[in-house]
Amino acid sequence: MIGVLSYAVFFTTIASILAIAVLGLNLQWGNTGLFNGGVVAFFGAGAYGTMILGGTPQADHLGGFNLFYPLALLGGAAAAGILAWIVGILTLRLRHDYLAIATFGIAVTFENFMRNAETITGGAKGLRGFERPLRNWIGDGFVYNFVFLCFVLILLYAVYRFLQHLVGSPFGRLLRAIREDEEAARSIGKSPSRVRLIAFITGSVIMGISGGLYATFYAFVSPQDVLPMLTFQVWAMLIVGGAGNNRGAVMGAFVIWGAWSGSGWLLSRFAPIEAQLYTGSFQYILIGSVIVGMLLWRPQGLFPEQLVVSQSGKSGRLSREGD
Amino acid sequence: MIQNLTDGILVGSILSLGAIGLTMVMHMLRFANFSHAELLSIGAYSALVFDAVFAAILPVLTAKIGPLSMTWALALSMILAVGTTAISALLIDRLIFRRVRDKGSELSMVFASFGVAMIIRNAMGLIFGLGTNLYSKDIVFAVVLSRDPLLLIKPDQVFALVAALAIMLVLHLILSRTTLGYALRAVAENPALAQVNGIRLSHMIMLVWLVGGGLAAIAGVFYGLTNQISPMIGRDLVLPIFAATIVGGIGSIYGAVLGGFIVGIAANMALAILPSGYSPSVPFLIILAVLLIRPNGLFGEERA
Amino acid sequence: MNFSITKTAGAAAGVMLCFASSAALAECTTKIGAVLPTSVDWGKPIAATAQFVVDQVNEAGGVQGCDIEMVLRDSQVDPKVGVDAAKALVDLDGVQMLLGAVSSGVSMPILTSVTAPAGIAQFSCCSSSGAFTTLAEEGKTKGLWFRTFATSGVQAAVGAKVATDQGYKSVAVLYKNDDWGQDIGKLVAKNLEAKGIKVTASVAINDAQPSYRAEVTEALEGTPEALYMALYPTEGTSVVREWLSLGGSQNMIMANALKSDEFRDNVGMQYLAKAHGTDTASPRVASADAFVTAYKAKFDSEPNGPGLANSYDAAMIGLLAMEAAGKDAKGADIAKAVSRVTDPKGTPVTADAAGFSAARDVLAGGGTVMYQGATGNVRFDANGDVSAPAVIWSFTDTGTKEDSYITLEEVDALMGN
Repeated sequence: MIGVLSYAVFFTTIASILAIAVLGLNLQWGNTGLFNGGVVAFFGAGAYGTMILGGTPQADHLGGFNLFYPLALLGGAAAAGILAWIVGILTLRLRHDYLAIATFGIAVTFENFMRNAETITGGAKGLRGFERPLRNWIGDGFVYNFVFLCFVLILLYAVYRFLQHLVGSPFGRLLRAIREDEEAARSIGKSPSRVRLIAFITGSVIMGISGGLYATFYAFVSPQDVLPMLTFQVWAMLIVGGAGNNRGAVMGAFVIWGAWSGSGWLLSRFAPIEAQLYTGSFQYILIGSVIVGMLLWRPQGLFPEQLVVSQSGKSGRLSREGD
Repeated sequence: MIQNLTDGILVGSILSLGAIGLTMVMHMLRFANFSHAELLSIGAYSALVFDAVFAAILPVLTAKIGPLSMTWALALSMILAVGTTAISALLIDRLIFRRVRDKGSELSMVFASFGVAMIIRNAMGLIFGLGTNLYSKDIVFAVVLSRDPLLLIKPDQVFALVAALAIMLVLHLILSRTTLGYALRAVAENPALAQVNGIRLSHMIMLVWLVGGGLAAIAGVFYGLTNQISPMIGRDLVLPIFAATIVGGIGSIYGAVLGGFIVGIAANMALAILPSGYSPSVPFLIILAVLLIRPNGLFGEERA
Repeated sequence: MNFSITKTAGAAAGVMLCFASSAALAECTTKIGAVLPTSVDWGKPIAATAQFVVDQVNEAGGVQGCDIEMVLRDSQVDPKVGVDAAKALVDLDGVQMLLGAVSSGVSMPILTSVTAPAGIAQFSCCSSSGAFTTLAEEGKTKGLWFRTFATSGVQAAVGAKVATDQGYKSVAVLYKNDDWGQDIGKLVAKNLEAKGIKVTASVAINDAQPSYRAEVTEALEGTPEALYMALYPTEGTSVVREWLSLGGSQNMIMANALKSDEFRDNVGMQYLAKAHGTDTASPRVASADAFVTAYKAKFDSEPNGPGLANSYDAAMIGLLAMEAAGKDAKGADIAKAVSRVTDPKGTPVTADAAGFSAARDVLAGGGTVMYQGATGNVRFDANGDVSAPAVIWSFTDTGTKEDSYITLEEVDALMGN
């Protein structure tokens, strides 16, 4: 029983960390319509940034600034933000598929840089930054994981509240206005490119926080953590959960990550020994089927976007289903 | 340097064939199909199966064609593979994409295609094994065209290039000279208006899948001929093919052809500028540069 | 041509059958966990080899009288997935011993966030990162971490020795662009230059590229006399075929990852006559052939392929240590017992079912054993690293043959350079 609890805490931690990244993406895509195909670059910038800033001195490469942990985490988020600022200025005038492939390319380049620039990032062997914070006081067993989960959940809730507030604010309306009809937004004197850039950077900073937490939890980060697969995972979570809906984004993270790891567990438990060697491929087929199945069943996601329509100060709710 | 340029053109022709199909699908159905490269994989493996069958029942066909490592059996297999792959493409659309299309948004299609790619890739791995296969184990030596500067070319690659160019020419003629071609273009430009004029949208969608699948099969066989076949072909080729499509501009067949060559050349020239560890990112940096100058690709048009 | 329909159909039918039947269970079973990349071409044989060890041990009566059940999870070469799988194995299946992972990028987070905190013994076949040694030196692995992967220094030193022995004046180095390849690529270049051999190019080969033509062209510049490759079979095949067709030299030196039937068959024996490989050596005792014989009987090929022998040893040493640690041993006890089964002064035991039975008797009598593994007389240092003697090998029509044997002392001397 304690085992199940221990695993549940662990699973929830990872799913919540990923949910933070999904929320960041939801601000970019769901609310603003920016097709960011390079989620993993901003996640990675947060992870590497946190590790390098907070880490103990390492032989052969940069790092070891020994920053106080919360500052390191903020620094990681800032690194993601700076990357997003540069990327945003370069690419945000591109539309849809073009933006997606451009940002995707940036993520591939990011991974490449982490893999090859050994003196800065530790290269392919990865980067050991620091021990998990407060480990000396709480130990590193179940209690630690539980405390860390609480920390992650607090951040997840804070990000969620922040985004809910943002979406309901005039700025949120502006984001959707630009998503739906840029010309109209421009005609009433708004600057779509500036607003888009702000949304892009904010979303990326949130992804950076997620990456920082991820690296902290494993006390390690390597180029294998920043492969394009993560971008796909985060996107699948958002689309299955429901783009444009923050509750959907969080639920999507749990559903997809649950399917991802649950399918492996099911196969290891119920597939016979002779077939165990093939379960890796079967697991991918199962995951693919779950995603396709979800999209066939509910193409708008589990929680479709709820459009907030403000008329004469009174807000009514409309489903976007018929859109 | 001249060697890298030549290699880039030779590799680029395969990417072009893949990109033509992808750009047509992306234009007509308005979604980024991440499972398109899996069609190359289906083509390459179906040819492998047919090839084995031909070799077993008609050993006379295993004679090589001229200086190529391609045999008559493989040439026939390629034609059959075109058929199976085109039908597979159609089936996938019927089973999955059409249903998602009816209910969902573009993005649902994109991620459904991701799921489809995952399923196909791993199903291939289960059926054919995760290892690599070759049409012919013989190594065909490159022909020295020039000693200084050194320029080497493999006959198979030249064949692939010439065949690819010929296929592109035929496609060009069909699209620009026949009513079918006009209908296809009309639907891609404006589906509603085209339907008013009596063009059946569903037929045109079928046609796009058939053509895209067929071209993908040829690209897959050429790739297998000049490299090797593995269930991961799709994974390895999806990005270069996408890059080619985007650089050329979505919807432009000539753009896709040119894009394929640009990406091929960029990937091959990359090492002259950067350490080899960075080679995967170079095509993307080129794309970024192209898009900064032309935000809709070289031949793409702005579309709402 | 090189594709067998019957084989494929057989495999497919086999899979179907497997899902239809269910495994028989013995009276008591002990679970061990394995997190290995079974969905990857080179990962599946590594998992098959670990399963083979479990079968052998069960044939010999199991551990402490209980059958061993290896619960296998795919790591997908994704750290998140691998760590989650490891955590599930530890928490839900209650394993005390974990095999895995292959990539350092997956093994490390498993170690830091799952096995070390929970006190589970972790045995990796193939993780090569130096970061593990550092972590162990800091005492943070709690002595729970072992890897049967001999450090790349040995292979690099022996690779340079091959080049010297063959009298090559210039060598181009191609290395897989991961932690193992970057490490060995750098080391071999250093070793070659120390011997006065010119390194004409050092080219990284990235995974999953559609073509390696450009990389090969770069390696060809400066027309080296020989090619050194630290690659896996899939990229290796593609690279060598390009290399040869562009007129590259047939003088080749290969790290042990290319000791693969698939590689030999797809390149062709006629081009591999002048190719020499390096590897860690199996022990100089007649019974060492037992492992190879048993392996051939089971898999219909020699244990050739990246990490297979290492995987065998990792699994066997783990199970021997479980036997030595006694009934219901915890991970820490298993880790402590490793020294009892890899004791240089202990009774030698062979790497097969009979060896396991023999070891059980010795251990029951309070003795220690020296496990003569598939990769040699494995001996761990305080950090869980191994050192081993080496061999130089070459391909034959049916497998590989050993050209020369380099003792531990000679290896140390080579590495001293």
